Amino acid sequence: MANEDVEMAPWKRKVKGFWEAFKRSKLGMTGLILLLIFLMIAITAPIIAPYPVYGPESRVGIPFEPPSNEHWLGCDELGRDLFSQLLWGTRVSLFVGFLAALMATFIGLIIGIVSGYFGGVIDDLLMRITDIILVIPGLPFMIILAAVLGPSIINIVFVIGILGWTGTARLIRSQVLSLKERPFVEAARAAGASDAHIMFKHIMPNVMPLAFAQMILGVSGAVLSEAGLSFLGLGDPTHISWGMMLHYAYEFGALHIGAWWYVIPPGILITAVVVAFTFMGYAFDEILNPKYRRRR
Amino acid sequence: MREYLIKRIIQGIVTVFVVVSINFFLFRAMPGNPFMRFIESQPRGKVKEMVDIYIKLFGLDKPLWEQYLIYMKNLLVGKFGYSFRQVGVPVSKIIMERLPNTLILMGTATTLTIIIGIALGVIAAGRRGELADISTVIIGLTLYSIPIFWLGLVFILVFGFWLGWFPLWGMLTPGKYFSNPFEYAVDYLWHMTMPCTVLVLVSAGGWALITRNALLDVFTEDYILTARAKGLDERTVFYKHALRNAMLPLVTMIALSFGFIASGAVLTETVFSWYGIGRLLYEGTMQHDYPVVQAAFFMIAVCVIAANIIADILYAYLDPRVKY
Repeated sequence: MANEDVEMAPWKRKVKGFWEAFKRSKLGMTGLILLLIFLMIAITAPIIAPYPVYGPESRVGIPFEPPSNEHWLGCDELGRDLFSQLLWGTRVSLFVGFLAALMATFIGLIIGIVSGYFGGVIDDLLMRITDIILVIPGLPFMIILAAVLGPSIINIVFVIGILGWTGTARLIRSQVLSLKERPFVEAARAAGASDAHIMFKHIMPNVMPLAFAQMILGVSGAVLSEAGLSFLGLGDPTHISWGMMLHYAYEFGALHIGAWWYVIPPGILITAVVVAFTFMGYAFDEILNPKYRRRR
Repeated sequence: MREYLIKRIIQGIVTVFVVVSINFFLFRAMPGNPFMRFIESQPRGKVKEMVDIYIKLFGLDKPLWEQYLIYMKNLLVGKFGYSFRQVGVPVSKIIMERLPNTLILMGTATTLTIIIGIALGVIAAGRRGELADISTVIIGLTLYSIPIFWLGLVFILVFGFWLGWFPLWGMLTPGKYFSNPFEYAVDYLWHMTMPCTVLVLVSAGGWALITRNALLDVFTEDYILTARAKGLDERTVFYKHALRNAMLPLVTMIALSFGFIASGAVLTETVFSWYGIGRLLYEGTMQHDYPVVQAAFFMIAVCVIAANIIADILYAYLDPRVKY
């Protein structure tokens, strides 16, 4: 066992230690289990949903029908089964959340590494840009950008991802600043490795756990942003998401007739998904942040 | 200190300049011109002559760089142009009508949030590992995860529709006659209760967590050990040594949270039909009234940037270790 540890690449050992610590966090494991449940729902939605949700054959009930044995969570304004819509909505929320966070983390990772590694003018310029993006108010800007680009899932991903990288860039940069002084970077440089090689083969693997943690935290923000944008009517009308469901519920007056079955469930699911990622992110933070480790 | 102040303000001006430029070019990057989008969204469809007149009126036939210069010049003197929808009404007038509502709602909500959040965080940090601490962490993380607009919908459903305690939306009871300013204020505050509560609930959790973590960070510092070794009682250590130092990261967090507050304002104001800048941004976007959208975004961005600068300066002032 000890031998195995020594033979492992440093980043592999890091990942293993990371997982060991993560397993001990109750909050983190709760989040992971929640996430796995939602992933299962997203994958199996077409099989487990009792009614179709797209096209004319989705009108299976009476408009605003309250919950019953046939329709567990009632029907929407067109008589479509809400329980089936909730299951399908999982797909869009997770897809947008993951992809937007991935995009943001990728931009942040590249900018952080380049900025930290080269320093000087490049660093100054990139960090000034980061500072500017950081203070742009998120949702208001997303609303404008989404309105200009038009409603589609990919546009929503882009709109959320393009703003969300600043924190990651700063964090990765500060890590790279200390990493590039380490002997293994010196050794690689002495062996004649190019800058690109050092940045992506030697430094990048070492900041990956941090980038991964940032991505997980980013998903929770992205899911909330998607829900908000869709609720405001800027979502993709051809897909069902929880935010879109709440948009229609609000627009078609579900509140005026007290249709709680239309308003309450989508929000609970959004909260649950975001909670899953927030819990995991919090656990990651406790593991990776050296200040917390000292206290144990 | 003085140099830092000047540097920081210049930096802020540059940021505003960049944001304003993005604001300008974004709408011109749309296919067609912005006014065509507005016309196409109108029920009657396009009327050729009318479109031509309006394009001239709004200067949309001028070259882009000239439009940009006019736009910048007007912003400097506080002119935002005219609304597409409400013909002849200057946007600055609309903004001025809406701004007080946002400032009152967000000001009240933010103040309450910070007080409640910090108090909860202090309680949690003081009882690290106990039930009060663990429940603060879990409830804090969960509150942070609730979509604010949905909590608003639930409040409208429960406290407005079912219990009838609070009005479902708006800022004043329609058609009500107010005999004195006091009655007016009471009605206004009664309408504000729900949006304000929702805002506080969703953001206070995050504040409690940040305060707790900042305090726990400080507890690991050597000067806390020194203070305890000196024989100071826990109370003095906590309030005089720990809390005061933990306030520093909190100031930074206040600054960063203004972007979050702005997002919350748009959603909350929309849900509760609170006629502020956030709802204006939403309405303008939906109605393709781009001069209004630009102005609303400009106001929000300037507030957030200004708040950031103030927090940075405050930080430098509070922390004698910071030398610029």
